Amino acid sequence: MGQLAVAFVTMTLGVLACAGYFYGSNALLDVIFPSKNRPPEVVARNLRIVNQVRPWLFLGPALLLLFFYLFYPVVQSVILSFYGRTGEEFVGLDNYLWLFQSGEFLESFRNNMLWLIVVPTLSTFFGLIIATMTDRIWWGNIAKTLIFMPMAISFIGASIIWKFIYEYRSGGDEQIGLLNALVVFFGGEPQTWIQIPFWNNFFLMVILVWIQTGFAMVILSAALRGIPDETIEAAVLDGASGLQIFFRIMVPQIWGTIAVVWTTITILVLKVFDIVLAMTNGQWGTQVLANQMFSWLFQGGGDYGRSAVIALVIMILVVPIMVWNIKNANAEMEGR
Amino acid sequence: MVTSKKGSALTMVVHATVLFLVIMWTIPTAGLFISSIRDKDQLSVSGWWTALSSSEQKIVYRTPDADSEIQENGLYVLRGNLLEGGSGKVVKFGISSLKPEAFEPGTETQDRRGVTFKIMANGDYEVTSDKSFRRGVRIFYTAEVPPRFTLDNYRTVLSSEGLGQSFINSLTVTIPATVIPILIAAFAAYALAWMKFPGRALLIAGVVGLLVVPLQMSLIPLLTAYSKIGAIFGIEAKGYVGIWLAHTGFGLPLAIYLLRNYISGLPGEIIESARVDGASDFVIFRKIILPLSFPALASFAIFQFLWVWNDLLIATVFLGNTEESLVLTGRLRELLGSRGGNWEILTASAFITIIIPLLVFFGLQRYLVRGLLAGSVK
Amino acid sequence: MKKSTLSMFIALSLASTTNTWASQDELIFKPGADTRFNWASFEQLKAIDLSGQELTVFGPWLGSEKERFDNVIAYFAKATGAKVSYAGSDSFEQQIVIDAQAGSAPNISIFPQPGLAADLAAKGLLTPLDAEDEAAVKKDYAAGQSWVDLATFKDQDGNNEFYGVFYRADLKSLVWYSPDNFYDAGYDVPETMEDLKALTEQIAADGGTPWCIGLGSGAATGWPATDWVEDLMLRTQPADVYDQWVKNEVKFDDPRVVGAIEEFGWFAHNDAFVDGGIKAVAATDFRDSPKGLFASPPKCYMHRQASFVPAFFPDEIELGIDADFFYFPSYADKDLGNPVLGAGTLVSITNDSEAAREFIDFMRSPIAHELWMAQKGFLSAHLGANPELYATETAKKQGEILRYATTFRFDASDLMPGKIGAGAFWTGMVNYSNGDSAESVAQEIQKTWDALK
Repeated sequence: MGQLAVAFVTMTLGVLACAGYFYGSNALLDVIFPSKNRPPEVVARNLRIVNQVRPWLFLGPALLLLFFYLFYPVVQSVILSFYGRTGEEFVGLDNYLWLFQSGEFLESFRNNMLWLIVVPTLSTFFGLIIATMTDRIWWGNIAKTLIFMPMAISFIGASIIWKFIYEYRSGGDEQIGLLNALVVFFGGEPQTWIQIPFWNNFFLMVILVWIQTGFAMVILSAALRGIPDETIEAAVLDGASGLQIFFRIMVPQIWGTIAVVWTTITILVLKVFDIVLAMTNGQWGTQVLANQMFSWLFQGGGDYGRSAVIALVIMILVVPIMVWNIKNANAEMEGR
Repeated sequence: MVTSKKGSALTMVVHATVLFLVIMWTIPTAGLFISSIRDKDQLSVSGWWTALSSSEQKIVYRTPDADSEIQENGLYVLRGNLLEGGSGKVVKFGISSLKPEAFEPGTETQDRRGVTFKIMANGDYEVTSDKSFRRGVRIFYTAEVPPRFTLDNYRTVLSSEGLGQSFINSLTVTIPATVIPILIAAFAAYALAWMKFPGRALLIAGVVGLLVVPLQMSLIPLLTAYSKIGAIFGIEAKGYVGIWLAHTGFGLPLAIYLLRNYISGLPGEIIESARVDGASDFVIFRKIILPLSFPALASFAIFQFLWVWNDLLIATVFLGNTEESLVLTGRLRELLGSRGGNWEILTASAFITIIIPLLVFFGLQRYLVRGLLAGSVK
Repeated sequence: MKKSTLSMFIALSLASTTNTWASQDELIFKPGADTRFNWASFEQLKAIDLSGQELTVFGPWLGSEKERFDNVIAYFAKATGAKVSYAGSDSFEQQIVIDAQAGSAPNISIFPQPGLAADLAAKGLLTPLDAEDEAAVKKDYAAGQSWVDLATFKDQDGNNEFYGVFYRADLKSLVWYSPDNFYDAGYDVPETMEDLKALTEQIAADGGTPWCIGLGSGAATGWPATDWVEDLMLRTQPADVYDQWVKNEVKFDDPRVVGAIEEFGWFAHNDAFVDGGIKAVAATDFRDSPKGLFASPPKCYMHRQASFVPAFFPDEIELGIDADFFYFPSYADKDLGNPVLGAGTLVSITNDSEAAREFIDFMRSPIAHELWMAQKGFLSAHLGANPELYATETAKKQGEILRYATTFRFDASDLMPGKIGAGAFWTGMVNYSNGDSAESVAQEIQKTWDALK
């Protein structure tokens, strides 16, 4: 029981320290610059100061953590991308030249583009359909839980599951892979799915769609519930059909959230390497940037320079999404 | 939610579609579950869906050796049952690997060495020889076997030493690593959505940009920093505070991004009127924003919990993998052995790790609804 | 929900109160009891007092292998009073890179591939051992000089230093088979490569399938084929060509290397020779592949794989009765002796301390080898370790092959740079088994090698 008590105390302290900061710092701010029972000019001045300081109190811990855990490593990566494999010898643009000349990079880049188109689209699409439909049926929560389940399985578990689906046995033997069993049942020839050039990429994407649909569903479902009932009731009274309500009222209302889900999954696709690593390790033409980076980082003692270059390419790919998000945020602010 | 009145046909379509999708999404997991309660050697020879029906299995049986033979009329006899008490029916048998289905049960046959074999449909066998059995002989048989399940895989996993410790370690890592980022991100998200200060749009873009940072790139610089900081203060570089902050750091961009989107969508009039009443932003946040954003907080909590719970990489890097500090995922990986061959263990352990996240999902699902109610009361 | 979680909590925490250090107080073989052990080297250990010192050991062993190694460590802890903790990981390769770079490395690291250790040594992250260790390995190990050479790498400044002792070897040149199946079909164990090829053709002509070959291994798919090629390299070329190949002095697309790849193709590129046909080779998991030997009717008659493979045989298979092995033979018409391909794990210091130095000495003492030999799943090249202590006849036979090998060569892919030996070589072999020509595959690998600095 001692172990448990220690764990519990550590947890509580950790969480309390964090909550304490927000309470404490805000209380302190109000004590130093009081806005009550003071002459009006002092109140006005204090209020101004408080309003200028408080956003940074709110943002402070987040910015600190983001800087240390994410921004600082990015800067490191940029610097390392000009250095050799041990990170000590300056090589200029060698790593960049190497990257754009390597056939593996072109292959990963092409595959990544496919992933970027297919996975976010399908996950968001299915997530939206399921989120909308499950709200209308009595067993919706059960359905949601089942769809959500893949999210709770670790990537390694997921790859085992799909290994048992894509598994290939030669013609005469009993198929233990579900897909080949079905193919054989309908009189076809069994296939080595994850080795079929080009199409194998899609078999890998299916796995991520299967996992990420649960994510899209949960977020979109929360957004759908935020739509005021009156809006929909009014539409129903106007005689709108289910489909009309869906396309004319629900989708526009949660458009922002759909975009957010899309963005999130797009970025996840750029980062995910576990599935490719576990299923093919990039063989048979399935390499993607994240996995390529991972293997350059760790294989044979690692090559910092080259993996940093690949990481930078991944980060540059996200720039259009950033720009689009700045635009959105600006538009929002103008409206406020 | 409101159902369309004239839509009974539509409702049927909805039911059918959802059912279809649910089945598509559940089949792989069902496969995993069924595999986890199957016999280890069956896993790689027959599909999991056949586990539910009685199947025809081809098996090689080796009889015991001289220790169990008895002498009758000057002959050495071995008796026993091929199915070893299990249910089933022998449909064919053979005595050579070349012709494993040569004979019908009930017949008698002799091999090159003069050993006589007699096998019955119920699995009883009698092997006679005029010489003592130096070692067991092989009998090939094909049997109709009813479905057979076992909880052995789960037993192996649950009884593994140190599992309880790892379970507690995982909780100790996961709970603060879920709560802290939510707290920090909610404040930041509110500031980014409703407070006016210079550089706001730039910060939002920065958060989106940081979403994409591959965390593998951060591991070495961060651990180096940890070691240095640890050396200065004379503490271990690897510890709980370190891993909480790491998970918080890596989870923050998504948390801020998702929460900001939700919080900025809340009705502006409430916030404005509260401000007019003289409430400070801190009070507005605590009294209005927090309760209203419960659905978003709950959904993010679910995801953060899952990621941290299923994480192995960050835990091994920042917490280490000694006996005392191993988390659940690490412990389960350990059961797989050095070359990872024990898939039956993996299937069972996948289901054991899935239980807690699913409980969290069920638990928080109610809050998703409660948030809705709070929102519509306003 | 709350209540059930709580009770689970309590149940689990009660179950976890076992002290993790406790196991080290119990020694599995009582010192002095079994005279076959070299207890003298254990008694010597007692002279060293390391009480109060902590020693961390990190390696690739998990599950039952971890248990057995823990049992060995317990003797060191007991004798010296040091507190030793071993941790294993299946992502050892990544983690040691991270930990060593970040300055939080364990005292002792056990490398499954010397190539990775060489990479770390070049970055100055390994501690060189002293001349005494080097001399002892040279003297105590079978073919001692080759074990010394395998652990000698360039340091940061380009000087050659000796970095570790080998502990636990794997024997690769083995063909597994079922003696009963051979008997049923009337086949004999082949003595030469010519016989093996004739037998392969014979089995196919009789309507059977000679080989089970599976290259699947998740992220490492392809490695079993590299072992094939290395073994065949040693059987078609002199050992020094093999050594030059490892260093890329003989290029990968050299006709001699392409020849060895094509030799592998002779076995694997024939639908009649491999279970499931050519297509199944890369698609079958190496862990499932040997099960074909024991199917009814057998899916294949032979399986070439290292000494660890019995771990993946079905539970009821008894070594020596249901399954046995023979030496992957060499050509009678080529005068190359009987070469043996093997691999081993290298124990090195990644974070220097007095206890670490003593532990290295322990790892090269006969008792450390004997203690695992007497358990299971361990082969040793240590001449001082008593072969009578091998737990099984099978292991003893393998130990003899290792001990009396005239030509012993280490797994080439473990010695090549990581990007080749654990990357391009694997991928190349997968592409080859999928139908690419040996030349184009070899050229592709050489191209990757050229692109390394």
